[in-house]
Amino acid sequence: MRKAADEYTGRLRWPRLGQDVAIVAWPSFLVASVATMVCFGFIDPVLVGNDDYPPPAFQTRMAGYAVGFFFFWLIAALSSLMTLYLVRTAHPEPADEGTDDGTRSPE
Amino acid sequence: MNEAQAPVDGALYAARQKIYPRDIKGRFQRLRVYAVFALLGLYYVLPWIRWGERQAVLFDLPARKFHIFGLTLWPQDFYFLTWLLIIAALALFFFTALAGRLFCGYACPQTVWTETFVWIERWVEGSRTQQMKLAKAPLSGEKILRKGTKYFLWFAFALWTGFTFVGYFTPINELAGKVVTFSTGPWETFWVLFYGGATYVNAGFMREQVCKYMCPYARFQSAMFDQDTLIITYDEKRGEPRGARKKGSDPRAAGLGDCVDCTVCVQVCPTGIDIRKGLQYECIACAACIDACDEVMEKVGYPKGLIRYDTQSGLEGRAKHVLRPRTIIYGSLIALLIAGFAYSITHRNVVAVDVIRDRNALFRELPGGLIENVYSVKILNKDAASHEFSITADGLPGLQVDYGTDAVEVGPGDVQSVAVRLRVPRGELKGGSDILFTIRTQDERALEATGKARFLAPTN
Repeated sequence: MRKAADEYTGRLRWPRLGQDVAIVAWPSFLVASVATMVCFGFIDPVLVGNDDYPPPAFQTRMAGYAVGFFFFWLIAALSSLMTLYLVRTAHPEPADEGTDDGTRSPE
Repeated sequence: MNEAQAPVDGALYAARQKIYPRDIKGRFQRLRVYAVFALLGLYYVLPWIRWGERQAVLFDLPARKFHIFGLTLWPQDFYFLTWLLIIAALALFFFTALAGRLFCGYACPQTVWTETFVWIERWVEGSRTQQMKLAKAPLSGEKILRKGTKYFLWFAFALWTGFTFVGYFTPINELAGKVVTFSTGPWETFWVLFYGGATYVNAGFMREQVCKYMCPYARFQSAMFDQDTLIITYDEKRGEPRGARKKGSDPRAAGLGDCVDCTVCVQVCPTGIDIRKGLQYECIACAACIDACDEVMEKVGYPKGLIRYDTQSGLEGRAKHVLRPRTIIYGSLIALLIAGFAYSITHRNVVAVDVIRDRNALFRELPGGLIENVYSVKILNKDAASHEFSITADGLPGLQVDYGTDAVEVGPGDVQSVAVRLRVPRGELKGGSDILFTIRTQDERALEATGKARFLAPTN
């Protein structure tokens, strides 16, 4: 019989897709925040570009910060995504398959 | 095989069940409520506090200046921020080594905002049982009303949170005025919605999933744990074997431990784990299970503390060590860094100079055999008072400095750009030479700063 306590702890996992989105989006968000701070600590966005580029609507500091942030987020997310893909598609380590003497581990 | 015993693989794809943490009162929950009020109070009130003419705490991104009460930080002071982040990280390590995930349970924004959202949910939908019943109930007028009210309150609270967030970066008084007249700028609107939306999703829906799947700290905090770290733990020796029993019966005679297996500790858990299975990385150390278990223990007349804050050493009956190499090293590093930070921020140079050569002409030959170079000298006055500056230059014999007046006045927290002409008699140099500009205050407070530049002359 299933214990009453397990009723609450049994099916609380996120679906795989939800986990993947979170794993890609969140760490890259954190990294992008730090990258934005460091980058614009040294670079003033209004000094980047010229009269024609970027378009006038984006030639303010606020726009520069925002575009920079989302740019960093995108780049970091691509990196996270690739890492996640490599981890998810890797063959398991031989050690996971069984113990040294060739028998399968109890788990 | 019934549905509840679905294999683990299947569970990976199964929809997540919402956790309805049961409300619980107790000393640690009271502490957490104080923490929520203190931290959120600080967050929502701080931008409204004034400091003289301006907002006390304002990270003025458009002007690239950070105001923190009497202190104004410029991009050049960026390393202070880095320094602060290092101190914060070390403090996290220190407290983790001492008392486990104190941060998660009491101070993490995720916990604090989730807590507030849970309060709103409880206030509108009622207790845990009522909430579960409402979720299962068919669509009705009351259900729509209750759910709608909850979502509306969440939404309003999240928007206010986003608004406050933007209020740290743009003067909040003006922002409030713009919000009232629906005339916020595109980026202000965007960030209010972005931060508000993130709060809504993180605290309203994702909740403990953020800690489980998204938080790196949850995964690496175990590296900072040792035998003497305070953790929330179930006293297995005392509790097992668990089981229900008749009131007043002697558990020892029935071969039972102190755990009555009421599962209240599981029902109150916001991350939905069973603390009796041991320390798990999902545990955010909110101590709800401690309070819950203490209440039950009191009711059945057993001593409190079956679930409690304790160390591995304590559980195994060994001596506890608060002072140990790990805490001493973290502690002294933090003390050192804070002292260094305090010293450098109070002793930082509040004036700075930035010298840029005129880009249009390399040099000019003046009648009378003089070579002239033109520079734009930017004087930064980060001080809270206005100062008058003189400008001098060294590095070449017979150097003449001309900037129109004797003294340049720069207001508090201001930048003044001055066109400076340097002249050198022809023949003193060929090609170019490094020179050093010095700006000095003319008043009783002696402040100075230097900036390098290059003086160019004809090569023949």
